Amino acid sequence: MPKTPKLPGRSDDKGINNGGGRFGAGNEEGAAWSIFGYIISGLLIWGGIGYGLDRWLGTSFIVLIGLLLGAGSGIYLVWLRFVKN
Amino acid sequence: MDGTLNLVGYGLSAIGPAIATGMIFAAYISGVARQPEARSVLQPIAFLGFALAEALALFGLVLAFVL
Amino acid sequence: MSQIAAPAGPGYEPPSTADFNLPPVFGDSLYTTKPVLLVLLSIVVISIFFIIASRKAAVVPSKLQFSGEMVYGFVRNNIGQEIIGHEFMRFVPFLFTLFTFVLVNNIFGIVPLLQFPAMSHVAFPYVLALFTFVIFHWVGIKKQGLGKYLKGIAFMPDVPKAVYILLTPIEIATFFLVRPLTLSLRLFANMFAGHLLLLVFITGGDYMIHDTNLFMKILAPFSFAMGIGMTFFELMVQCLQAYIITLLTALFIAGALADEH
Repeated sequence: MPKTPKLPGRSDDKGINNGGGRFGAGNEEGAAWSIFGYIISGLLIWGGIGYGLDRWLGTSFIVLIGLLLGAGSGIYLVWLRFVKN
Repeated sequence: MDGTLNLVGYGLSAIGPAIATGMIFAAYISGVARQPEARSVLQPIAFLGFALAEALALFGLVLAFVL
Repeated sequence: MSQIAAPAGPGYEPPSTADFNLPPVFGDSLYTTKPVLLVLLSIVVISIFFIIASRKAAVVPSKLQFSGEMVYGFVRNNIGQEIIGHEFMRFVPFLFTLFTFVLVNNIFGIVPLLQFPAMSHVAFPYVLALFTFVIFHWVGIKKQGLGKYLKGIAFMPDVPKAVYILLTPIEIATFFLVRPLTLSLRLFANMFAGHLLLLVFITGGDYMIHDTNLFMKILAPFSFAMGIGMTFFELMVQCLQAYIITLLTALFIAGALADEH
C-alpha cells in the first residue's frame, strides 16, 4: 500500500467533538445528516409504535405520545453523541 | 388538482424550521470564520439547535400524514 | 388535474412521473430502456477516459492526464484521506468508482440528446446504497468483531439502563434502515426533481409558443430562458450530489472503522 504524504493544512486532531468517533473527522456535513437520521428514526419508531397501539386499542391519542417520546429521545441521543463531553 | 390540505399545511409549517436552520448555520459559520479556535465551543450548540429545528420540521411532516 | 393550468383548447398537460417510464429503445425487452443504456454508456465513457488518461503517464502530464489525475486526486485526498484517515487507500477504488459513476450519470441529465439522469429511477440509487451498506457494515464487523460492533451501535456508553429501552430501537433503525434509505433517496429526489423542473420549463415554453394567445407567445421565451438557467443550476446540483454521496459513504466507513472509547 503506497503511503501518501500528509496534506499540508490538515491536522489530525481538530479538537472538536466527532460524535464518539463514529462520524469521521468532525465533518459538519456528515454530522448534520446523522442528526437528521436520528430524529427521523426516533419519530418513525416511537410514532409507529404509538400508531400501532392506537389501531389495536381503538384510541387516537397514543400516537401523539409516541411522537413526542420519539422526538424527545432523538434529541437526547443527539445530545449524547454530539454535545456531551 | 387533487391532494390533501394537510400537505399545504406542512409546506407552510416547514418555512419556520428552514429559516431557523439557515440562521443557525449562518451564525455558526460566521462565528468560526471570525474565531476558528471557538469551533469546539460553537459546534455542539449549533448541532443542538439544528436538532431542535429539525425535530419541529419532521414533527410537522409526520403529523401531516397521521392527522 | 389540468383545470387550473389550462385556459382552453387541448390544454397543457404538466409533466408527471409517467414521463420517467421511457419505452424500450429497441425490441420489447425491459433491459433496453434508455436509463439502462445510459448506465452502460457511462461505464464505457468512464473506462475509455481513464484508460486513455492513464496510459501514457508522464512526469509532465498532458491535459488529459492532468484532468484524470485531478478527479482521482480530489477523491483520494479530499474525500478519502480527509475523512477516513490512515487506512484510506483500501477504500479509494470504491469511492472513486462511486464518484465517477454517479457524476457521469448525473451529468447525462443535461448532455444534449441524452438528457436523462439514470439516477432519477430510484432503483439505481438503491443499489448504490446497498453497496455502501454492505461495505461499511462488513468493514466494521471485520475490524471490531460482530458482537462488539453491534454493541457499539446499539448501546451508548454511560447511560442509565432504563434509557436503553428508548434509545436502542432508534440507534438500530438509524444504522440499518434510515442511513441507506436517506443516502439513496437524497440522490434520487434531487435528480428526479431536477429533471421534472427542466421538463416543466421546456414543455411549458413549447406549449406557450404554440398557443394562439399573443400574450402567451410573448412569455414563451422567458420560459425557455428559465429552462436554460435551470440547466446550469442542475449542473451544480449534479456535481454536488455526486460529491455528497461519496462523502457520506466515506463518513460511514470512517464511523465503522472508529473504535468506541
